[in-house]
Amino acid sequence: MLDRPSAEPPGVAGDRGGAVKFVNFAEGAGMAVAAIRSQKLRSALTILGIIIGVATVMAMASIVHGIRSQIFNTLEVVGPTTFRILRFFSSTPLNPDALPREVRIRPVLRRREADAIERLPEIHYSSIWVGVFERLEYEGVRSQLTVVYGADERFMEVLGGAIISGRTFTPTEVRTGTGVVILEREAAEKVFGQVNPLRRVMRVGGRAFRVIGLYRKPENIFQPPGQEISAIVPFEAARHAFRYDETQSLLILVKPRDGVTVDAAMDAATLQLRRMRGLRPGDPNTFDMITSDQILNVFNQLTGVFFLVMIVLSSVALMVGGIGVMAIMMVSVTSRTREIGVRKAMGATRREILWQFLIESATLTFAGGAVGIAVGLGAGQVLNGVLRFDTGVPIWSAVVATGISIGIGLVFGLLPANRAARLDPVEALRYE
Amino acid sequence: MTRDGSLIRVSGLTREYRMGAETVHALRGVDMEIYRNEYVAIMGPSGSGKSTLMNIIGCLDTCTVGEYWLNGVEVSGVGDDELARIRNQEIGFVFQTFNLLPRATALHNVELPLIYAGVSAKIRRRCAAQALERVGLADRMQHRPNELSGGQRQRVAIARGLVNEPSILLADEPTGNLDSTTSAEIMGVFDGLHQQGQTVVMVTHERDIAARARRVITLLDGRVHSDTVREAA
Repeated sequence: MLDRPSAEPPGVAGDRGGAVKFVNFAEGAGMAVAAIRSQKLRSALTILGIIIGVATVMAMASIVHGIRSQIFNTLEVVGPTTFRILRFFSSTPLNPDALPREVRIRPVLRRREADAIERLPEIHYSSIWVGVFERLEYEGVRSQLTVVYGADERFMEVLGGAIISGRTFTPTEVRTGTGVVILEREAAEKVFGQVNPLRRVMRVGGRAFRVIGLYRKPENIFQPPGQEISAIVPFEAARHAFRYDETQSLLILVKPRDGVTVDAAMDAATLQLRRMRGLRPGDPNTFDMITSDQILNVFNQLTGVFFLVMIVLSSVALMVGGIGVMAIMMVSVTSRTREIGVRKAMGATRREILWQFLIESATLTFAGGAVGIAVGLGAGQVLNGVLRFDTGVPIWSAVVATGISIGIGLVFGLLPANRAARLDPVEALRYE
Repeated sequence: MTRDGSLIRVSGLTREYRMGAETVHALRGVDMEIYRNEYVAIMGPSGSGKSTLMNIIGCLDTCTVGEYWLNGVEVSGVGDDELARIRNQEIGFVFQTFNLLPRATALHNVELPLIYAGVSAKIRRRCAAQALERVGLADRMQHRPNELSGGQRQRVAIARGLVNEPSILLADEPTGNLDSTTSAEIMGVFDGLHQQGQTVVMVTHERDIAARARRVITLLDGRVHSDTVREAA
């Protein structure tokens, strides 16, 4: 029964270098998995905070990414060279009844200004538009408030998409402001159902308009929820039919000719407008020009703030989760005092015990992070699906989330692990 | 300095504990020497200091005053990490309550000292399996402690104590939690190991267990009271 072993003595004194760390890492991870398995519910509750925190960040990243890719796509479709002229550019809404003096001293944009810009050799397209929120109505079926543009017959130059049936405006209709409307296909389906809307008279914002065309917008373009374009009418018709805000609803959309840079086109348009408005050299511009890049920047700032708020909120969840992990690790250390004593008796150093518990808590939070990433991505997919955005999440956000959850395990595991490492082996072995 | 074959030499070993305002003198100057291949039982009533002596010999604790030489190396005064290394290389522990890791298999329990010795997984598994074979548990390697009887658990613990080929196998009341039949069986394992040349130091308060050792050291009030060597039969 008792045979001498034939193997060489395995305890080689000088063999405790780099290999120890890996061996010890495997032992720590194995211990962690065993501990998590034996306490499934407790572990799940412990990492709930981590799951929520990571899931929030991931869902936000997914949504912001969806919106961003949509905006890039829009710019791609519409042409990144299009720029807009506004009476006053503000990233926050202005109260039209209490405009600041700096806005009031500026003249309202005029159609002839847009036309004058279009006559410039650098410019391919320039037109004044008005954007309003109105309801569509046909035989008692009413839509929500949707975006209606007053534009011209070449609105596709800026919006992209195409007329799929019927026709666009005639120059006469645009000039005289005839009551005709081109409906966006999906919006038309909502109020007309199975009825073919062409040549029928409907109400837009309570006014009668005859449908002359159906328009299909480009795929995957960015339209903030609730701001989908539903109809386009001639500019003059919109101006007469709808109430609008002279500062925020009117804009001149300008597209440079091929081969002309945005900067050159903007310079030319600026000069033209200044000349028409009789501004002397040194006078400030009485209008604002913004490029697609600037719109993107504004959006980036907004989503940046949004993102920051979400990160702050989810760090609170992560903190709470981390404290939960710390508490559970404390319990774990106490309930395994004897085990720690045994490990020390078997030759584990303080550092090895410290690392084993750090690895255990990092494994816990890593598991939480992994679940959180899955939940967050799932939620993001669902939301983007509902909002009909392109889905897809930057890989870095998953990497960062994983890193952060492991980091939380290490940081909040430090106190319990240190307590375990400092246990006196004699005391620990005697612990009941 | 030490006679050839001397494994443990302690002199003037004193250990004091502070319990609040009081100082407890657990050891009051112990001198003794244990040689290679000896089978020593340390006896004494509770409070005599035998557990403290055991802890110091096992490098789990250090003495307040005195000298401790283990295998020719002065142990008193070395740091925590070095003590851990000595425990890992020189000492095999067998506890009264077995102290196996409940969630680990017998094999993994036996592997534990090798993990801290930095031995690779493959060699670890082979050595642990051999140690389990040595104590007659070749067919129980994948069992967890709760699937094993008390005697089998203690055998796993002995295999764990042996796996690093330690200089001393240090057993603290190894039969304290076992019935008399199983005790006899476990003592048989120790006898066998001793016959193979293993140095065994055993703390016990049971006279018949101590009687199996060649040498019995009795402690009383933190001092060596008697040290008797039984002639080989």
